[in-house]
Amino acid sequence: MPIRIDPEEVEFRALKPAASWRGARVLEIGCGDGRLTRRLARLGAQVIAIDPDRNAIRSARRTLPKSYAGQVRYAVGTAGRLEFPARSFDIVVFAWSL
Amino acid sequence: MVHALQEAHRVLRPHGLLIDLRPAPAHRRVGLQRGRRWTIVGTTKEDLSDDHSANQAVKTAIGRGLFRRGLYDRFELKRHVGGLSAFRAWLEDFVLRSGLPSHAWLVDRVAAGLAGGSTWATVVVRGPLELRVLRKRG
Repeated sequence: MPIRIDPEEVEFRALKPAASWRGARVLEIGCGDGRLTRRLARLGAQVIAIDPDRNAIRSARRTLPKSYAGQVRYAVGTAGRLEFPARSFDIVVFAWSL
Repeated sequence: MVHALQEAHRVLRPHGLLIDLRPAPAHRRVGLQRGRRWTIVGTTKEDLSDDHSANQAVKTAIGRGLFRRGLYDRFELKRHVGGLSAFRAWLEDFVLRSGLPSHAWLVDRVAAGLAGGSTWATVVVRGPLELRVLRKRG
């Protein structure tokens, strides 16, 4: 049986009222295998998700449902040097990564 | 960590939100779930200094006027690990990644707990998570 993190979706329920997610441009830092990314996409966000671990990014891309393909982009990257222009996101999420 | 917050501040639009979601500085509790009943069998012994440093970095960023505090929430997150072999594998990986000393004693306790019960059980690891919302100033 694979490990199930937060099957009760407590984390999802806490995130939901934290911001206006629908259509928001979101940068997720430390996305790992994309567990939280998929939840942010489910909230309607447009997500760029980064992680320094290439294998994790590969796994995240592999497990992204096709229905979220237009909403999510994965890239290898670190919080210390963000390769994005100033003022380009509505929300930045540190996902277990600060 | 403060530099990472400065970078986040740079890429955020004015009044954009920074959401800091991570485990609270607390040791995880390992227990056995039998039906609806969860019984603790042990607690991890973690080095929480990184968590405290991250909290300090957030305070520093707020103190420098980069962000102002918004919503805060704390809740418990459960990790349903499964049986003994899955727990052993998870714990070994966790200990390795966190640079902690061996937690073999905890595996032994879980093994004893699983062997001692009369009904089927699964290992569930619980720990508090904190959610902080900060709003970019200006």
